[in-house]
Amino acid sequence: MNFYLLYFLVAASIFSFIAVFSLLSVYAERKISAFIQDRLGPMEVGKYGLLQTFADILKLIQKEFIVPTVADKVLFTLAPVIIFIAVFLGFVALPWAPNLVPASMNIGVFYVFAIISVEALGILMAGWGSNNKYSLFGAVRSVAQMVSYEIPAGFAIISAVMIAQSLDLQVINYNQGILATQEIKFLGFLEVNQIGGILAWNVFQSPHLIIAYIIYFIASLAECNRAPFDIPEAESELIGGFHTEYTGLRFAFIFLAEYAMMFLVAMFGVTLFLGGWNTPFPNIGSLKLADYTTGIYWGIFWVMGKSLLIVAIQMWIRWTLPRMRVDQLMSLCWKVLTPLAFACLVASGLWRLLLF
Amino acid sequence: MDVAQIIFYILAAIAVLSGVFVVSSGHLVRSVFMFFVTLFAVAGLYVFALADFVALTQVVIYVGGVLVLLLFAFMLSNKESLDGFGKISSGLLSTNRLAGVIISFAFLFILVMIFSKIDFESLNWIKASQLSGNVKTVTDDTIKNIGVNMMSKYLLPLEMVSILLMMALIGAAHIARKESHE
Repeated sequence: MNFYLLYFLVAASIFSFIAVFSLLSVYAERKISAFIQDRLGPMEVGKYGLLQTFADILKLIQKEFIVPTVADKVLFTLAPVIIFIAVFLGFVALPWAPNLVPASMNIGVFYVFAIISVEALGILMAGWGSNNKYSLFGAVRSVAQMVSYEIPAGFAIISAVMIAQSLDLQVINYNQGILATQEIKFLGFLEVNQIGGILAWNVFQSPHLIIAYIIYFIASLAECNRAPFDIPEAESELIGGFHTEYTGLRFAFIFLAEYAMMFLVAMFGVTLFLGGWNTPFPNIGSLKLADYTTGIYWGIFWVMGKSLLIVAIQMWIRWTLPRMRVDQLMSLCWKVLTPLAFACLVASGLWRLLLF
Repeated sequence: MDVAQIIFYILAAIAVLSGVFVVSSGHLVRSVFMFFVTLFAVAGLYVFALADFVALTQVVIYVGGVLVLLLFAFMLSNKESLDGFGKISSGLLSTNRLAGVIISFAFLFILVMIFSKIDFESLNWIKASQLSGNVKTVTDDTIKNIGVNMMSKYLLPLEMVSILLMMALIGAAHIARKESHE
C-alpha cells in the first residue's frame, strides 16, 4: 500500500512545485518587464514587492465565481480544470535527476507531446462555454495556432530523438553526459564518454540540432500562447481572449496552467537538446569537474537552472517583441519553420547514416 | 480484486456511459466534448492491453486532431442548418432510423453469442503462444518492435499510407488555393 502512498506524494509534490513556480515567476515576470520598460515594478507589498503575488492570490481566492447567464455552465466550469490537468499530466514523464523521474516510460517523448495537445481542447471548451464572441475568437485563434505549430515542434523533436535513439526521456538524458550507456561523440568525431559536460549535450553532439532547438523554442512559444504569438489574448482586439469571462479561482487555474506550460516546454526542450540534468562542466584531465557535479541534488539543480534560464528568455522575448499578425504567424509556421524542420530531420538521418 | 482491476472497470464504465451520453444527448457540442472522455477512457483500456503506443496515438490523433476538427466544423457551420437536426423525427422505429436499429441489434446479437460461446482462457492460439513463450510483459519495450516491423515487414503498407496522405495534402492545398479569374 505504501506504493500508492508514494504515487500521491509524487503528484502532490509536482503540484506544489507548479504552484510555487507560478507564484515566483509572476513576480519575476513583473520585475523583468519593469526592468525592460525602465520602471520599478511592484514595490509596495513587502520588501521590493516580494509579497505582491501572495496579495494577488489572496485577491483571486476571495473573488466571486461569476458564471454568465447564457454560458454553458458545465463546459464553462470544467474548462479550467481540463486545461490545468493537461499541463499537469505532462510533468509526469519529465526526469529531474539520475534515477529520479515521477514515471519512467519508454515512450516519454511521445507521451508529453500527446498530452500537451489535450490543452487545445480545454481552450476550445472555455471559449465555447463562455458564449461570448471574443472568447470564441480567442479560442479558435489559439487552437489554430497550437495545431499548426505542433508540426515544426514535432519534427524538431523527432530530429533530436533520431540522434538520441530513444523515446525514453531518461535514456535521452543519460546519453548526454558521463553516465552514457552508448558511445557519444562531440560533433560526431571526438568521443566524450569520459569527458561529458557541455560537449556531450545533444546540440553539440550534432550541430544541426541548434537550428532544431531554435525551431522548437519558437514553436513552443506559440504553443504556450506567449508573445509574440499571443493573438489569442490580444487585449486591443479581443479583451482577454478565451479567458475573458473567468473570475476568481477559475481564472487562477488558467493562469497557473499558462505558467506551468512555460516551464513544461522549457524543461522538455532542455531534456531533449540541452543535456537535461547533465552538468555543463567537462572533465579536464585530472580535474574531474563533471564527476563532482553529477548526482541527484546536482541533477535537480542543473535541470531547474537551465529551465529557469529558458523561462527567463521567454519573458525577455515577451516584453521585447511586438505581437505578430495572424497571417504573419501562419506564414512563419508553414513557410519558414516547417521546411527548416524537415531539413533538420533529413540532416539527422544523414548524420546517423554517415557517422555511425 | 486488486487496484489495477478496479481502475480497469472504472475506465470501462466511463467509456460505456460516456459513449451512451454521446449518442443520446441532444446538445451537439456537449456530445463532442463527451466523446473526448470516451476516447480518453478507451486510451486507458489500451494501456491495460500493453498497447501504450496505440493509446498515445489515439490521444494525439483523435483528441488533438479529429475532435478539434469536429469542433471547428461545428463552430464554422451556421446555426440554422444545425437547428434543422432537431426537427428530424427521433422515434426508435421511424424510417430514417430503422436500418440503424436493425444493424445495431444484429451486431449486439453477434457479440453476445461470441461472448457466451467462447472460453477465452483456452483458445488455441493463446495456448500455443504461451507454450512457445511468445508473450509480452509489462516492462517490455514495445515501441522498438513497432519501429523495426514498420521499417521491414510493413514497409510497403507504410509507404502506401504516406502516398495517400500526400494526395490528401495536395488536394487540400488545391482546394484552398485562390482561383485566378480569367
